[in-house]
Amino acid sequence: MYTCGIDVGSVSAEAVILNRQDGKFEIVAYIITPTGGDSKEAATNVFNRALEKSGLGASDMSSVVATGYGRLNIPFATKNITEISCHARGVVHYFPDIKTVIDIGGQDSKVIKLDSKGNPIDFLMNDKCAAGTGRFLEVMARALDIDIRDFAKIFAGTSQKVDISSTCTVFAESEIVSLIGHGVAKNSIVKGLVYSITGRIISMVERVGLEGPVCMTGGVAKNLAVVSALEERLNLKIKVPEEPQITGALGAALLGYPKE
Amino acid sequence: MGIAENIKENLKLKIQNNLDRNYIRNILRIIGKRPVLAAYGATFSSRSDKYLNIATIKSISCSYNPKNTVAYGSLFLPYEMFHALDLAPFLPEVMGGFTGGLGIADRTLKEASARWYTPDLCTFHRSASGAVELDIFPVPNFLICSNLACDAAQKTFYMDAKKFGLEDNYYLIDTPYDNDESSIKYLAAQLESVSVDICRKSGKKLDIRKFKKAIKLSNEFRQWAIKASDIRKELCMYPKGFDGLNFILPFHGLAGTKDAVDVYKTMYFELNGFLKKQKRGNIKNTGIRRIGSGGRTSVNNVNSININNSNPSSGNGNAGSDKVKKILWLHLKPYYNNNLFNLLENNNYKVVFEEISNVYWPVLDPEKPFESLAIKMLSHPLNGSVQNRVNAILKMAKDFNVDGVIMFAHWGCRHSNGGARIIKDSLKEQDIPMLLLDGDCLNKNNSSEGQMLTRLQGFMEIVDARYQY
Repeated sequence: MYTCGIDVGSVSAEAVILNRQDGKFEIVAYIITPTGGDSKEAATNVFNRALEKSGLGASDMSSVVATGYGRLNIPFATKNITEISCHARGVVHYFPDIKTVIDIGGQDSKVIKLDSKGNPIDFLMNDKCAAGTGRFLEVMARALDIDIRDFAKIFAGTSQKVDISSTCTVFAESEIVSLIGHGVAKNSIVKGLVYSITGRIISMVERVGLEGPVCMTGGVAKNLAVVSALEERLNLKIKVPEEPQITGALGAALLGYPKE
Repeated sequence: MGIAENIKENLKLKIQNNLDRNYIRNILRIIGKRPVLAAYGATFSSRSDKYLNIATIKSISCSYNPKNTVAYGSLFLPYEMFHALDLAPFLPEVMGGFTGGLGIADRTLKEASARWYTPDLCTFHRSASGAVELDIFPVPNFLICSNLACDAAQKTFYMDAKKFGLEDNYYLIDTPYDNDESSIKYLAAQLESVSVDICRKSGKKLDIRKFKKAIKLSNEFRQWAIKASDIRKELCMYPKGFDGLNFILPFHGLAGTKDAVDVYKTMYFELNGFLKKQKRGNIKNTGIRRIGSGGRTSVNNVNSININNSNPSSGNGNAGSDKVKKILWLHLKPYYNNNLFNLLENNNYKVVFEEISNVYWPVLDPEKPFESLAIKMLSHPLNGSVQNRVNAILKMAKDFNVDGVIMFAHWGCRHSNGGARIIKDSLKEQDIPMLLLDGDCLNKNNSSEGQMLTRLQGFMEIVDARYQY
């Protein structure tokens, strides 16, 4: 029995096609694509591409579950469920014992607390501000003229950091330009930026109440600098799925199956 | 859209296009005439809503009538005093809320901003201040405020007093922290002193019989409000258009009048009728057993939440959607058009009670009017320690057997939002989930509806998953 989960975020859209057979789940296909300016079009596009990759048709799907900020604009979805429940379900699929989920996406971040059965019992989402999200890192990488994929290596290899005082993405960019102008080493700025993100996330984690084990999801979980900094600050090891960006779509696909 | 809604929309448009005190006064003079009011009232499907709207129009019309002695009052004052002094009360904070519903808050907030009112001040006060500056609100003769709970009123009222040259007619009633004998005496003395001074300035004698009468009427309204609340402990279906969060004006500003008695008496009988229908129709809030944290279902059993007007029981096998989930609402709500309550309603979530409808004061003694009114003020759960509020909330949550609590964290409302963590933790100890929903009651530009809906839907998914089918 096949289901499809579609996660339409502000920056990227993902689709996961899942098959359940003999009680076991198998990811048949997944796609990650930029959302662009039209979330409806992005959802249709990512769905069609996932079908193409899987060799299946839309009629093969027993359900299509939509999540993410664009979930309400997907007319062909059979259900819509928030990313809170979907990320929780996706994480529990990989790591059944997780108690705290940290999801950092393109323009928002959230912390979700789970009970012993993997049910979300509390959550916090960031407010109107994109600071501390993937967008923040992209803007800063551009300002530094550094490939964002090099952040992990730089973070690990640099001992000095510069505190970035601005909490706003726009003002932080100005601050960085000013620091560069004053001859501050870019590597130190990178380190400072990563700690700046972790500071915002940690205050959210503390509000919800930290309980391990912890899992990180979302595109920013691929940035090992952020993962390392969070591990350091939280003093614990953080689990990251193999492809953290599809966790929401995977959770949506899993929730597409009838209740057990 | 029903006839009542149509009329309201037309009135809204007229006011939006004619933001002028005199225009508003003329509109109110027309719709305040008995036959017009009766005809308007007949367009409401809910009798409670009808009496609410009629009482509201009457009250506001009085305050716009230049023949009346008008007194601005802050929300948590005992309005029995106003009516005993023959003052036409005007509550700027409540009317500030109306600017949201009328679609003029953008303009009033802009005006406040231009006049240097700080943007972290609550929008009820900011919008009211902007409306005063734009000469939309009626001209007062007196301004009476207290520092009970909300500390914004004492400053904004003083600014208003300065604008109207009424600094000598501005009264700040200092409300003590503790609820004890010395506090009652101190507060009662202030209430009496203010009353005497207002009478002197109005050229009238203080008439204690009017105080006694107002307090007797207040006791009667209190009794009906409690009876109506008791009905709501069992009620899952409500008249169309009924919203407990709309009754701030009669609950506070009309205390001490027959109008408040009529509103709550009507509410009681209407809701009692619905309760009888509910029982006959066997519409129960049972059948789905609620289990504690030790026995929740697995995370697989999440319902699909409906935001659109579709049947929530869409045959997806998730019976949790069919159960009516009962919510206690804390603080207030966005008064501009929004989809929050559609989302709740379409997914079988019902706000069964709200904090602002809680009768928190004892029966008042008409023989000791000032002392009684002081007791009323000091009894407010928002006065004194936050534990007072926590205790009141826990009692409401238990009395109404709620499935969850939603606290709307209105921007700038420090007295409410400051205690959020303590309230949430206290509810958690009772295994009651709480959603702290950040937003702004008036300024839609200060909150994202998409984010609010996601939080609300996420909370509903959490509550739904707690039930075994």
